[in-house]
Amino acid sequence: MIDLSRAGAVAQPDGEGRAGGGRCNDRVRFTLGLVGDRLEQVRFGADACAATTAAAAWLAARAEGGQLLDAARLGLAEVLAGAAIEPAGAECALTAVDAFHAAIGDAVARGAVVSSDPNRVVVAMSGGVDSAMVLTQTVAEGHEAVGVTLRLWIDPEAPSPERACCAPSAVRAARDLCHQSGMPHIALDLRDDFRATVVDPFVAGYAAGETPNPCTTCNGAFRFDAIDRVVQRLGAATWRTGHYVQLVVQAGTPLVARGVDATKDQSYMLALVDPEILTRVQFPLGARKKVDVQHEAAEQGLAAANALESQEVCFLGGGALAPFLERQGVRMTPGPIVDEDGVELGTHAGALAYTPGQRRGLGVSRGTEALHVLRIDAPANTVVVGTVGRLRRREVSLRDIQVRADVPRIDACFRMRAVPVAGRLEQGRDGTGTGTVYLDADAHQIAPGQVAALYDGERIVAAGIVAG
Amino acid sequence: MGPRLSWHHPKPVVLGGGPTCISRFDGRWVTAGWNISATRSEAAATPRLCVRCDNARVIYLDHAATAPPDPRVVEAMLPHLTERFGNPSEPHALGRQARADLDAAREEIASLVGAKPADVVLTGGGTEADNLAVLGRAQGQPGRMVVSAIEHPAVRRTAEVLARRGWEIALAPVLPNGRIDLIELWDLVQTGDALVCVMGASNVTGVVQPIADIAAICAEHAVPLHVDHVQTAAGAELELSELPGRVTIALAAHKLGGPRGVGAVIGSGVESLDPIVFGGGQEGGLRSGTEDVAGAVALAAALRIRQGAEAPAERSQRAALRDDLEARLGLSVVGAEVERLPGHALLLTGYRGDTVVRLFDERGIAISAGSACASGETLPDVTLTAMDIDDDAARSAIRITLGPTTTAADIDAVVAVWTELAPALQVAAEASA
Repeated sequence: MIDLSRAGAVAQPDGEGRAGGGRCNDRVRFTLGLVGDRLEQVRFGADACAATTAAAAWLAARAEGGQLLDAARLGLAEVLAGAAIEPAGAECALTAVDAFHAAIGDAVARGAVVSSDPNRVVVAMSGGVDSAMVLTQTVAEGHEAVGVTLRLWIDPEAPSPERACCAPSAVRAARDLCHQSGMPHIALDLRDDFRATVVDPFVAGYAAGETPNPCTTCNGAFRFDAIDRVVQRLGAATWRTGHYVQLVVQAGTPLVARGVDATKDQSYMLALVDPEILTRVQFPLGARKKVDVQHEAAEQGLAAANALESQEVCFLGGGALAPFLERQGVRMTPGPIVDEDGVELGTHAGALAYTPGQRRGLGVSRGTEALHVLRIDAPANTVVVGTVGRLRRREVSLRDIQVRADVPRIDACFRMRAVPVAGRLEQGRDGTGTGTVYLDADAHQIAPGQVAALYDGERIVAAGIVAG
Repeated sequence: MGPRLSWHHPKPVVLGGGPTCISRFDGRWVTAGWNISATRSEAAATPRLCVRCDNARVIYLDHAATAPPDPRVVEAMLPHLTERFGNPSEPHALGRQARADLDAAREEIASLVGAKPADVVLTGGGTEADNLAVLGRAQGQPGRMVVSAIEHPAVRRTAEVLARRGWEIALAPVLPNGRIDLIELWDLVQTGDALVCVMGASNVTGVVQPIADIAAICAEHAVPLHVDHVQTAAGAELELSELPGRVTIALAAHKLGGPRGVGAVIGSGVESLDPIVFGGGQEGGLRSGTEDVAGAVALAAALRIRQGAEAPAERSQRAALRDDLEARLGLSVVGAEVERLPGHALLLTGYRGDTVVRLFDERGIAISAGSACASGETLPDVTLTAMDIDDDAARSAIRITLGPTTTAADIDAVVAVWTELAPALQVAAEASA
C-alpha cells in the first residue's frame, strides 16, 4: 500500500533533501524533524510515478520514530522489498532513496548530533576501490562503520562527468557498499562549498596566470575539514580514508609520510592537511600495495573494484582545461608567443590554457631548439617560451608556508610523485609565511600556484605554495 | 446433456485474504475467470476475481483493456471446445458439423455488422487482423499509405515496418478534440494510395471518428480504407453496408466479452487483400490454419450481445453512468466536446496517472493509466501528444472504462476513493516542490 499519511512537509525541517528531474520529471522531497538523534517526523512530497511514490511513502513510514543513523542504513534493496516494487521500478525508486539520503546528509550538515559510540569509526568513501576496502576492513574488525561521501561539484557540461570521483553514481556506489554491510551512509552535499573553496580559486588562479593544483587544496584542506567536522557529530572519535599514506608521530605531532607503495604514494596531496585533524585520522592502506588491495577487493567481489579510477582535477570530468575555463567565464584571447627577448615567434589561442614546462602544441620554433613554455604573462596575455635549460630552477620562492618539524635539510617535491630534489628551506623573517627553497640540483617544471611538499626522508615536515 | 455452469457461487469462499467465487462445473471446480481445476484446493490456489459477484474484491473499470468474459459467450463456445471438435475441412460427420457451425457463426457475424459472409476473414486476434489489413495492401513495389497519428500499435508499428521497407507513410493529424482533421485528410489522400487507416474509436480517449465522412473521402480518391474497430465494437453500432468504397474493419472478441486470440477482418475490401499467413488456404486463402470454430462461435455470440437489439439500451445506460462519474469527479475530460464511446472516460488528474492507478488498485478498483512508465521513463501516450496535450498533463491521465456489468455502486466507489485520495495527492505534490 502507498501510505500517503506522511505526505507533506515538516514546517521547520532539521533536514531537507530533494531528487528528481530527468526525462520523466519525477520530483521527491523529504523533510525531517529531529528530536536529538531521533526522527520525530519524516514527511515526503512526491510528484512522481507509482514506484517512486511508493518508495518515498515506505521510507517515510519506516524511518519515522527511529534513529537517524538507522535511517541512514536504508538502501534501495530494502525499499524494493519493503514497498513491493518490481525490479523494473528500481530506477524510479532510486529517486526516492536519493532524496531521502540527501535529507539525512543535510540534517548532519546542519548540525544533527548522534550519541557517541566508542566502537564507531567514520570511513571517508569516494565510491572507489580503496575506500571500499577500508570499509570492509573496518567492518571486519568489528567496528560500526559510518560511510561518509562528499557530493562535490562537477562541470555538468564536461565530456564524462561520471568519471569524477564525487559524481552522483560514485555517491550511490559508496552508499550501496555501506548498505550491503548493513552500515549507515551519509552523503554530504558540498557542491556549493566545493565550488567556492576549490573550483573558483582554481579558475581565478589560471586567470591570473598561475598553475594551481586543486587536488591538494581539495584533499589537503577542503575534504579533510569537511569530513572531520561531521565525525564528532556522528558520534565517532576516529575516521579513516583510503589514501596511500602513513602517519608518523614526531614530537607529538602527526606527520604525513609516504605510503609503502611508492607508485601509489599520495603523501604530496595531503601536504597541507592540518596536523590537528591528523590526530583523529587513520590510513589503513598506507602500509599496503595497491595491487594487493585490488586483488583482495576482486576476491571479495567488491563492485567498486572495477569502477573507473578517478583522475586528477576531477571536476574537469575528462575534458580539456581550456574549454572548461571558457565555460567558467575565463576569456581566451589569442595573443603572442614570445621568447625571453620579446621576439614574437607565433600566436596562441589563449595564454591561460598553457602550463609552464609544456612543449607540445606550441607550434613555434627557433632554429633547431625545442621550446618550452617558461611562464605565462597573464596581464599581457603573452606566453613566454625558451629552451628547457631556462626551466631549471635552483631557487623557488614559497608563500603560505606551514612548518610541522624543523629540520636543516629537506627533499622538495613540486608535483605528485615527482623525484624529490634535496635542498634547504629558508623562511622569511617577517612572519608572513614566505620563504625560499634552495635546491642542490636543478628542478624542472615549477609553476606558480603549485604545492611544494618538503620531506625529511619519508615524512612531510613542511609545505607551501610556489610563489615564483 | 452438455455441461452446466452456474456463474455465481451462492456464497463467497474466502481465499487468501478476500472473498472470491468458485463454481462447480461439470464435476470440476472453476474459479471466475475460467480456471478449471480438478480439485477445489487447486482452484483455491489460483484465485481469480469474479467481476460480477457482489462479493468480488475488485471493481473492474478497465473494460477497454479487455472485457470480462460474458457467461453467455463462454457457454456458447464450450460445446465447440468439447464434443463438437471436428476440423471443418474434413468430410466426415464431425467435420461437416464443424463446417456448419462455422458457417452459421460467419453468417451471424456478417449480418451483425452489415457485411456479407464471404467478406468475413477470421484471424487469431485483433492485432493479426490489423496486420492483415495493412500488410495485405502492401502489394508489389513500395507505394504510399495514409495512417492516422493516433493508431493503435497494431497498425502504427506495422506501418513503421512498411516505412523501413521503403513505403511512404503519411500521418493524418488529429484536431485537439481527438478527431481526425478531415480537411487535412482530404489534402493528404491521393489517388493511387494503397490504403488509408483510421481507428474507429480511440482505445485511449474513446473519441469516435467520423468514419462515414472518412470513407467518403477515401471512396472519392478510390483508395481502400481500413478501420480498426477493435475498441469501437464494444460501444457503438457498426454498419458496414452504409460505407462507400473498399472498406475493411478489424474486430477482437476479447474486447466484447469473448476469448483472446479471436479476431476478424471484415468488409468488401477483403477480396483485394493479399494473405500474410500461408498454409492450407482456409478463410478464402486469406488466413491459413485450421479454423477456430469455438472462437468464431464466441465472436458471433459476443457481437450478438454488443451489436444486437438490446445493445443500444445498454450503451445509453453505460453512457449515463460515465456522465455521472465525470460530473462527480470534476476532472478535466479529454474529448468531452465530441462523441465518445459510452462508458469511456479519459481524465486528467493533475497527478501521475500510474500512481493514481496504483492507489485505486490498492483500494480494489481496477482502472488504467493514459501513459505507461517503462524503465524509469514515463512516456506520454502518442494519442495525447497528437492532440497537443502537454507531457505533464498527459502523464496525469487515467482511463476509466465501464462495461455492461458496471453498476451505480461502482461509480459511487470510484467517487469515494477519489474524494479520499485527491487531498492527499495534492499535499504530496505540493510538498515535492
